[in-house]
Amino acid sequence: MSGAWFVLARVARDRSALLGLVLILGLVVVAVGAPLFATHPEDVFELHPAKRLRAPSAEAWLGTDRMGSDIYSRLLFGARITIVIGVIAVGASLIIGVPVGLVAGYYQNWFSDLLMRVSDVFLAVPQVVLAIAIAQTLGPSLPNVILALSVTYWPWFARIVYAETRSLQKEVFIESTAALGASPWRLTALHVLPNIVSPIIVRASIGMGFTILTAAALGFLGLGPPPPTPEWGRTIAEAREFLPDAWWYALAPGLAIFLTVMGFNLLGDGLRDVLDPRLRRGRSAPDG
Amino acid sequence: MSQRRSWLVVVLMVSVIALSAAPAVAQTRFVFANESPYDTMDPHAAFDVGRVAVRLNLYDGLYRWLDNPPKLEPWLAESHTVSPDGLVYTFKLRRGAKFHDGTEITGEDVRYSMERILAMKKGAAALLSTMVAPNTTKALDKSTVQFTLTKPASIFLAVVPEVHVVNAALLKKHEKDNDWGAAWLTSNDAGSGSYLLSRYDPAVGFIAKRFAGHFMPWGPKFIDEIEFRLVKEDNTRVLGMIKGDYQGTGGYLPNDQVKRLREAPNVKIIEQESMRIMMFQVNNQRAPLTDVNVRRAISYAFDYDGFNKEILGGTVERNPVPIPNNLWGVPKDVKGYTYDIDRAKAELAKAKTKVDRPLTVGYLQGFSQTEQAATVMANGLRKAGIETKLVSELWPAMVERMKKPETSPDLVVYWISTYYADPNNWIGEMFHSGQWGTFKASSFYKNPKVDDLLDTALKSTDKKVREKAYQDAARIVVEDAAGVWIYNTKYFGPWAKTLEGIRFSPIGNGQEMRWVYYAK
Amino acid sequence: MRLLALALHRLLWFVPTLLGLLVVTFVISRVIPADPVALVAGETATPAQVDALRHQLGYDRPLPVQFVGYVGHLLRGDLGTSLYTTRPIADDLAARLPATIELTLVAMVVSVVVGIPLGVLCAVWRNSLLDHALRVVTVSGLAIASFWLGIMLQLLFAMRLGWTPLNGRLTGFPPHGITGLLLVDSVLTWDGAAFGNALAHLALPAATLAVPALATLVRFTRAGVLDVMQSNFVLYERAMGLPRSVIVWKYVLRNALTSTVTQLGLLFGILLAGAVVTEAVFDWPGIGTYAVNSIIRSDYNAVMGFTVWAGAIFILVNLLVDVAHTLIDPRERTV
Repeated sequence: MSGAWFVLARVARDRSALLGLVLILGLVVVAVGAPLFATHPEDVFELHPAKRLRAPSAEAWLGTDRMGSDIYSRLLFGARITIVIGVIAVGASLIIGVPVGLVAGYYQNWFSDLLMRVSDVFLAVPQVVLAIAIAQTLGPSLPNVILALSVTYWPWFARIVYAETRSLQKEVFIESTAALGASPWRLTALHVLPNIVSPIIVRASIGMGFTILTAAALGFLGLGPPPPTPEWGRTIAEAREFLPDAWWYALAPGLAIFLTVMGFNLLGDGLRDVLDPRLRRGRSAPDG
Repeated sequence: MSQRRSWLVVVLMVSVIALSAAPAVAQTRFVFANESPYDTMDPHAAFDVGRVAVRLNLYDGLYRWLDNPPKLEPWLAESHTVSPDGLVYTFKLRRGAKFHDGTEITGEDVRYSMERILAMKKGAAALLSTMVAPNTTKALDKSTVQFTLTKPASIFLAVVPEVHVVNAALLKKHEKDNDWGAAWLTSNDAGSGSYLLSRYDPAVGFIAKRFAGHFMPWGPKFIDEIEFRLVKEDNTRVLGMIKGDYQGTGGYLPNDQVKRLREAPNVKIIEQESMRIMMFQVNNQRAPLTDVNVRRAISYAFDYDGFNKEILGGTVERNPVPIPNNLWGVPKDVKGYTYDIDRAKAELAKAKTKVDRPLTVGYLQGFSQTEQAATVMANGLRKAGIETKLVSELWPAMVERMKKPETSPDLVVYWISTYYADPNNWIGEMFHSGQWGTFKASSFYKNPKVDDLLDTALKSTDKKVREKAYQDAARIVVEDAAGVWIYNTKYFGPWAKTLEGIRFSPIGNGQEMRWVYYAK
Repeated sequence: MRLLALALHRLLWFVPTLLGLLVVTFVISRVIPADPVALVAGETATPAQVDALRHQLGYDRPLPVQFVGYVGHLLRGDLGTSLYTTRPIADDLAARLPATIELTLVAMVVSVVVGIPLGVLCAVWRNSLLDHALRVVTVSGLAIASFWLGIMLQLLFAMRLGWTPLNGRLTGFPPHGITGLLLVDSVLTWDGAAFGNALAHLALPAATLAVPALATLVRFTRAGVLDVMQSNFVLYERAMGLPRSVIVWKYVLRNALTSTVTQLGLLFGILLAGAVVTEAVFDWPGIGTYAVNSIIRSDYNAVMGFTVWAGAIFILVNLLVDVAHTLIDPRERTV
C-alpha cells in the first residue's frame, strides 16, 4: 500500500522515531540471530560453577552470572522471550479489544454500556496486581504470563476503538451510508475500520513497551518463566544478591529492557505524530 | 513582670519539665537483624530456628542445650529420675525461680505448659504428642513434676528443653473461649527468661529488657536491652553490620556476603561446625521414583563439588548420609554418591521403570540457595537424559504440599536444622514410615527393616545400641538412594567485634544473649 | 442541573462495576489450587482438623452462597479476616495504608512541583536545547523498568555512596503514631531524629516512583500548553499586544490546568500501579507489598479485600476527576 510507504517516509524524517525503528529492528535481528551472535549459545542450559561471577572480559563480554553462564549470550536468548511475550500478548489484546470496542461503539445501547463497564472493571485494579494474581494462580510459566498480560491489556484497545467508533458514528458520511441501507458489516469493514487503524497501530506500539515492562516485573517477582529460562526480569532478580560487587550482572538486563522499551515508545510517538496529531490531546490516549 | 520576662520563665519551666521527663537511656544495647519475622511471642506456637530468639531469651525450660557439641544442662530443673521401665520421668525444680511478674515457678506451671503445648497442637506438639498423652502429666508438689510417657522414648530428654514454662495463673487470667490465652500471648510475655518483653510489633520485631531477678546469676557485665529486628534482605543485614546498625545477624549467609563481613573492621566472624543438612527429598511413592535404579541415577546426577566448593565457596562440608557428619550414629565407611553422569545413565538403563515424563523439582521462594541447587540438579538430570520442571512455593505452602505423596513434588530441596541434638531429628523423622505427613518425611519412604531399626533406637537408652541401629539404618537408606544429601552447614556468625561471651549451639545459633557483654 | 445528572449517571454505574470486579476476583481467588485453610490450620493439623476448620469458616458452602455472604459483610463494612495474619483485613489495610499514602504523596508532590513548571518551560521555549534534552529524558523515564531503577539507585546511593539507607521505611521502632505518616508524626512529636530517619528512607523509593509520573506530567503539560498557545484566543491576545509572559501566566496556565486535572487522575493510577513494584524493591510496608504477599500466600480474603478497596478508590477517583473536569471546562458540560 502506498499509504504505508508514505507513513514510513514521514517517520524516517523524524529522527527520534527513526532511532526507535532502528532499536526495534536491532532487537528483532538479535533475537532471531541469537545462536549466531552469542559467544556461548550453550549457556542457556549449561552451568560452569567454577567460572561464576567473573567481571566482563574477552571470554565473557558482559561477565558471568551466579552459575558461571555467559551473561551476554543469555541476554540475547532473553530477547527472544521478550519479543514472543510482547507480540503475542499485544496481539491477543488487540484481537479481543478491537471487536469489543467496535460492537460497543456501533450499538449505542445498554449492551455497549455494559461492555465498557466490563472493561472498566479490568482497568479498576492496577494492572500489575491483576497480572500478578493471574500469574500466581495459574503458576509461573511463559504461556501464563502471556495470558495474564493479554487479559489486563485488552481494555485499552477496546476504549480507543469505542471512542473512535462513537465519534465516527456522528460523521455525516456514516449516517448517510446507513440511511442508504448499507449493512453494519459493510459499514464497519469499508468505512469504520480504515479510520481506526491508525490509533490502533499507535496504541499497539506503545502497548508493546508497557507490556514488556510488566512482563519484566512479573519475571522479577518470580512469576515469569522458571529457571533456567534467561528472561530479563528474572535475571535482574537473580543479580540482586550479588550487588554491589557484580554490578554488571544487574546492569546489563536492565539496559536491554530500557533500549527495547525505548525503541517501541519512540516509534509509537513518531507514528502518533504522523498518523493522527489529534490524538496528542486525547484523554484516552495516555502512555501505559 | 514584663512580657519578655514571663516568656523566659515559661521557656525555662518547659525545658526543665521536658528534660526531667526525658527517658533514661539504657546503658548497653544490642540489635540483632533477623531474616524471618517474629509473628508471634508465644513460645508454644513456633518451633523453628528462625524465631528461636523469643524462646531462648524470654522463657526457660527444664533443661537447656548449651555449647557445641551440644550438652544438656540443668536449667529450671536441678535433676531428674527415670523409672526402670523408661516410662516415668520425674523432675525436681530448683527453688526460688520466679516469673517476670514476680510469682514463683511451681510444678503446676510446668504441668500447665505441657498440657498447653499438646492442646494447641503447634510447635513442638507434633513431636511431644508421640511421647506424652494429654492429662497424664502430674505436678506432685510445688517443686516436682512427673511425665508419664506412652512408650519408652530415648529422645524425650533431648526434646524436654522445648517445653518452655509459661505462667499458668497469668494465662488463665487472659483466657478467652478456651484458647489457653493464645490470643493474648501472641503479643505479650508470660515467661521467666533472662529478658522480659518491653516492646513488640509483628512487622518490626521485639525489644526486651534485662530481668535482674533471673534464677541464673548474672556476670559482672551484661547487656541491658536487646532488640531483635526483622531485616529481610541479605544485603541490608550485611550493610547494617558493616555500618554498625546491628551487632549480630544470622550465621548462614551466602559465601560472598561472609567474605565482605570478614573485611569489615568492626565485625568478627565466629566459625563453628553446625548441624544443618541440605538435601533433596525424593518422593519414593511416585513412579518412576519407585524404582531404586532411577533414584540412584538421580543421586549420581547432582554436581556436589560444583555446588559445595564453587557456588558456596567451600563453606560447607559434603554430607553423604542423612545424619550430620559431626554427630554420632554416622556410618563412617559410607562414601555416598558422586557426580557421575555416566553412572547415572547406566543406572537408568538398568531401571525397570522408564522415565517418560519431566520430573518436578521444587524449591523455596525467597531462598535463592534452593533455587540454585534446583538449577544444578536440573542441569545434571538433563545431561543424564531426564527432563525437569522447576516449581517454587513459599515454605508454608511447600510444607502443605509435602503432607501427601500425591501433592508433593518429585524432588524438593530444603534444610533440616537441629531441633534437638539426636540422630532421630534427622534420619528417624525422615525415614520412618510412621512420620509420613510431616515436613521432614516427604521422602514417603517405607521399609519395614528401617522402621524396626529406628524403633529400636528410639526405645533403647543404651547409646551403643542406638548408635549401631542408626548406622545400619543409614547404610540401607543410602543403598536405597532414598534421598540426595548435599551438605552439612558451617556456621559463620557475624558479630560486633567488641562483643564477648557468645555461646554458640546448633540449637539456638548463639542467640542466647544472657552470656554476652561488651568488652572494653 | 447537568452536573448532577452526570454525577448520578456515573454513580449508578459505580455499583455494578464494583460488583463485576468482585465477581472476577472472587472467581479467581476461589479457583486457586493451594488450600489456604490447610495453611492456616498449621503444619501439624490432621485432615479431619482441616475440614473442621473449613466448615467453621464457611468455605465448604457453594460458591454463590459464599459470594452473597461476602457482599453482605461488605455492606456492613467488614472486609473479612486475613487467613494468614488472622487479623481483620480492614485493620491490616488501615495499618499499612499510611505507608503507601506517604510514599505516593511525596512522589506526587515531587512530580508536580518539578514536572509542571518544566513542562511549561518546554512549551514556551519550544525546540530549544532544554526542550530537546527533556524530550529525551522523559522518553527515557518511561522506558526504564521501575524495579530496575530502584535497584540501580540502591546500588549507587545506598551501597556505593552510603548516602541513604538501603530499604525499609525506618530503622527501628517508629515514633508513637498519630497519623501513621512518619514525617507528620515525627514533627508532631518533635522528634528530629525520626524525621531525618524517615526522610532518608523515603528518598530513593519516592524518586523511583516519581520518575514515570514526572515524565508523563512534563509531556502532557507541554502538549497542553502548546495546544492552548496555538489556539485562536491566544493569537488574538498576542495580536492585541499583550506581553508573552502575561499571556502565559494569566491565560495559558489556567486553560492548561484542565488537562492537568485529568492527568492527576491518571497520575494517581500510575503511582498506585508503580507503588506495587517499588514497594517490593524497597521492602516498603505498604498496601502494595500487602497485595503481592497476599496473592503469593493464597490469602484470598486479603486479595478480595485489597481488590475491593483499590477498585472502589480507583473508580471513585475517576468519578471525581470526571466531575472536576466538567466543573473546570464549560465546554465539556454536554454529557
